[in-house]
Amino acid sequence: MGDIFVGEKHKEEEKAKEPNMTHEVKDPEKFHTKVEEDIKKAEKPITREHIPGHTHNPLSAYDYFPDNIDFETREREEKIVLFLRRHPITNLKWILVTVLLLIAPFFLGAFPLLDFLPGNFRFIAVLGWYLGTMAYILENFLSWYFNVYIVTDERIIDIDFNNLIYKEVSDANIDRIQDVTYKMGGVARTFFNYGDVEIQTASEVPNFEFAAVPQPDRVAKVLQDLRIEEEQEKLEGRVR
Amino acid sequence: MTIPIIGVSVFPIIKIFVVFALGLYIAFALVVVRQVQLMTDTLEVGFEGPLRFLAIMHLLFAIAVLIFALIIL
Repeated sequence: MGDIFVGEKHKEEEKAKEPNMTHEVKDPEKFHTKVEEDIKKAEKPITREHIPGHTHNPLSAYDYFPDNIDFETREREEKIVLFLRRHPITNLKWILVTVLLLIAPFFLGAFPLLDFLPGNFRFIAVLGWYLGTMAYILENFLSWYFNVYIVTDERIIDIDFNNLIYKEVSDANIDRIQDVTYKMGGVARTFFNYGDVEIQTASEVPNFEFAAVPQPDRVAKVLQDLRIEEEQEKLEGRVR
Repeated sequence: MTIPIIGVSVFPIIKIFVVFALGLYIAFALVVVRQVQLMTDTLEVGFEGPLRFLAIMHLLFAIAVLIFALIIL
């Protein structure tokens, strides 16, 4: 009915536009790569190398389809899609403090704090200072290194290593995810492109927070794609 | 340096405290080694060797400082 009121010239213009529009939709460069396609790519080592975000660096904070990472509770067919930890720039504070702690004994001569002690006691005090500094480095580095978030094609896993004597591992199935929110605020976070991804689930652990992870928008997109994929699997009866 | 009322030297007391503190530190260093071992079993990322080495070096350094303190204090 509406076509009666559309002029022939206008129709031709619309027809001329159509191929471009379909071209835009199919152009993979303009959209994020679908996780499903990436899973297929990741199966072959040669194509896996070309997936954006894939790296072999064990100290990386963002690894898409990592190939040298494994965790205790992984099932045989479970594929790791994302491996995340806090952005390296979040370590800057304790690294600066460490530098100050390391050079502090050299300035001890300027402040006669330990002058009442004999030389041997002062020497042990300096060694004790460096032991404390080493503990501080280990505590901070291990907290960063082992505090990881893993997204597999089946679930999300949060490994918390809060301090040297406390750890917590929690997970939730992808199909239990209800809501994903990501937050980026502040100068450093905007500049270095990192932020928090909050995931609300219907599982025993209601909230997961991927704190200060790089590229939170891509993480949220991957989680969304995995949820769609999981829904499709359920509809098609391909549930593991 | 002596404690005025008792007339006992302060340094043997400081030495006992230092040795006790270093003993506690060694216990902490042992916990670190064990925790790193457990965590590297939980999560394999490909950096387990250097991490274990770091934790063991930390423990050895703590033991060395304790022995050194016992000798020179």
